[in-house]
Amino acid sequence: MAISVDAPEVSRNLAQKAGYSFTLLSDPDASVIRRYQLLHTRGGPEGSDISRPAEFLVDSSGTVRWTNFTEDIRVRARAAEMLAAAASIN
Amino acid sequence: MRQRNWFLWAGALVLVLAFVLGVLPFIAQFPGQGALPWLDLLLSILAVVLVILGLRLAIREPQRYRGKAVGWVFTAVSSLLLVFSCLAFYGARQIPRANAAPHVGQKAPDFELKDTTGRNISLAQLLAEPLEASQNSPPKAVLLVFYRGYW
Repeated sequence: MAISVDAPEVSRNLAQKAGYSFTLLSDPDASVIRRYQLLHTRGGPEGSDISRPAEFLVDSSGTVRWTNFTEDIRVRARAAEMLAAAASIN
Repeated sequence: MRQRNWFLWAGALVLVLAFVLGVLPFIAQFPGQGALPWLDLLLSILAVVLVILGLRLAIREPQRYRGKAVGWVFTAVSSLLLVFSCLAFYGARQIPRANAAPHVGQKAPDFELKDTTGRNISLAQLLAEPLEASQNSPPKAVLLVFYRGYW
């Protein structure tokens, strides 16, 4: 599932347009993004605070099993590597 | 009969490649795609070098080589693309480090946020409950994707 500062309505539009079936969560005041130490201060349009891109795989005990923190916003984790990480969890 | 100025055309080819590579990283789905921004930068520099070499030939030996006018145009275009590539490269990397973010082996902090229907969902809930009514066991894991938003 995916998290951003976008409002639920914005995420709903995105999910509809793109055909996403996974959960999209809204963190408009970036409190969870802050808790995960991912805040990109004034990184959004008009100087708003947003999240830096990051991916975490969390197992059923709540433990982080795999992470990806890009250094370039143009390069994101591939679906194949995320699926491979998920497949390695039993 | 003047010769074709191959430097110019090789430069133009590299220019097109650099342009394509500059757009590709967003959608690339193959191992090693992380090298694309670097490759784009490298090709942008190479294009300018080739085009300038071609222009130099055309200016110094106009009896032997064609391409003086084209050379100037290509030099302007490739220089512009190089500036653009450098700015894009710099801009795309202006993101804070994630050194303090949860790392492998640590507990993922729990949270509760609204989904697209306005319903509150927590991480604990996602980990404990089946994703769909048709499944009867909770997921083995949950993938959290933090993204920049403003889509």
